[in-house]
Amino acid sequence: MNTSNHISPDDLYLFALQLLPDADMKDAATHLKDCAECRALLGEIQGDLAAYALTAELKAPPVQARERLLRQVAEEKKVIPMPEPVAVQEQPQVEESTEPMLYPRNSRVSQIDDQDERKPRRFAPIMAWAGWSIAAVMAVVAGMQVDQRKLVEQDLSVSQAQLGQSDAQVQHAKQVTDTLRDASAMRVALHVPLNAGAVPKLDPEGHATYLPSTGALVFVADHLDPLQAQKTYQLWLLPATAGSAPIPAGLFKPDANGNATVVMPPLPKGVTARGFGVTVENDGGSKTPTAPIVLLGS
Amino acid sequence: MDSGMEESTGVARPTAEEDGELLTHVLRGDEGAMSVLYDRYSRIVYSVSLRVLRDTAAAEDVMQEIFMQIWRNPSSFVSTKGSLGGWLAVVARNRSIDTLRRKRPSEQVEEMNLASSCNLADEAERSILMERARSAVKLLPTEQRKTLEMAFFDGLTHSEIAEMTGDPLGTVKTRIRSALLSLRKAFQA
Repeated sequence: MNTSNHISPDDLYLFALQLLPDADMKDAATHLKDCAECRALLGEIQGDLAAYALTAELKAPPVQARERLLRQVAEEKKVIPMPEPVAVQEQPQVEESTEPMLYPRNSRVSQIDDQDERKPRRFAPIMAWAGWSIAAVMAVVAGMQVDQRKLVEQDLSVSQAQLGQSDAQVQHAKQVTDTLRDASAMRVALHVPLNAGAVPKLDPEGHATYLPSTGALVFVADHLDPLQAQKTYQLWLLPATAGSAPIPAGLFKPDANGNATVVMPPLPKGVTARGFGVTVENDGGSKTPTAPIVLLGS
Repeated sequence: MDSGMEESTGVARPTAEEDGELLTHVLRGDEGAMSVLYDRYSRIVYSVSLRVLRDTAAAEDVMQEIFMQIWRNPSSFVSTKGSLGGWLAVVARNRSIDTLRRKRPSEQVEEMNLASSCNLADEAERSILMERARSAVKLLPTEQRKTLEMAFFDGLTHSEIAEMTGDPLGTVKTRIRSALLSLRKAFQA
């Protein structure tokens, strides 16, 4: 792997892509810890990869993803470490300081015994404690104010998040409504194809409303058969262009009544569809449909 | 947290320094800062994950995991590491590939000093950079483009690519490097 003790450029690219065999990954990582030159090259490669990552088609995450993240963030509130208290420089020891500042309440004898001796300094400890008491009260008040401010800030953050979330939800709902109402939308009824085996008692069926110009799709299905464990239904858009592969249009699982919906899956804009199909796939979905097609409509 | 609205309004022009400030707020437990970072970068992270995984639910899980990593350990990214957006894009790809391979997340490659001057925080600049990247990739020779795509988005090793294409291992390695170097030149031009 190494050339003149450095990682070869080709392997450095593969390291950045995490594509080297495990043993070579470890060797490269060890070398990089001590080699500033290779680290610098790796940094440039990572920059190249970041640029290449931008070629992925930009898709908006599902609206509920934001809510999910912020909910988990709120659940994992941070405990902010308080700064260490500043060490107070010890005062030079004086004769009085060797004496206890406060006597125990039940140590009356000691107080009486020392009363005469303490007369000239009677107010000194009182003043000292008064000062501490005032400081303590101020600290408590300041603490309460800080707490109140934090609460207000938290409320504000939550309100801002909720506002943003509400906006997104309204936009999403509007998009769904627009799609359903659009006169130019393609409306497809999906039924069990003739070659899909025995027809169950209640015929599964689906209805897709699709706007090619925006890629907006609303799909509703009912009477679906329950799925086996680790299986999922997958909806496919069948492009009108001859020879074009079916486009995955969302995964779904029916509820106890066999109903399911797919709303606004990420689809490319401007694809004219000749129809839609539904297949059963392994959890996580498939890149290509697996026979048989359980619902089909065009 | 005013910058939280910049993506939707396009009024504010956030900078890399603001990313650093946001991370400082996150370090202090500021949930509002976290939501701003999410609004700013969730589309990049989600899009890259979706491109690799081709599964919306899995891509969302990867995105959630990455943003929770920022929340739990914002110091895992410091401004000296380069562009936060670029770092997130690469981490999204790496985590997605790990998911494809059912592997534990690889930390060593995430500890990267990413040399990038790209300011992905700014939506306008991000759009320009994306367009430039796509144009540059279109200009690559077909073999280079396909090899890079298989390595980056499909997570295929050079051996697997060589096996699939019938090309020698050395050729596959060189194509990956040449493709990324061409992309760098296009960005520097």
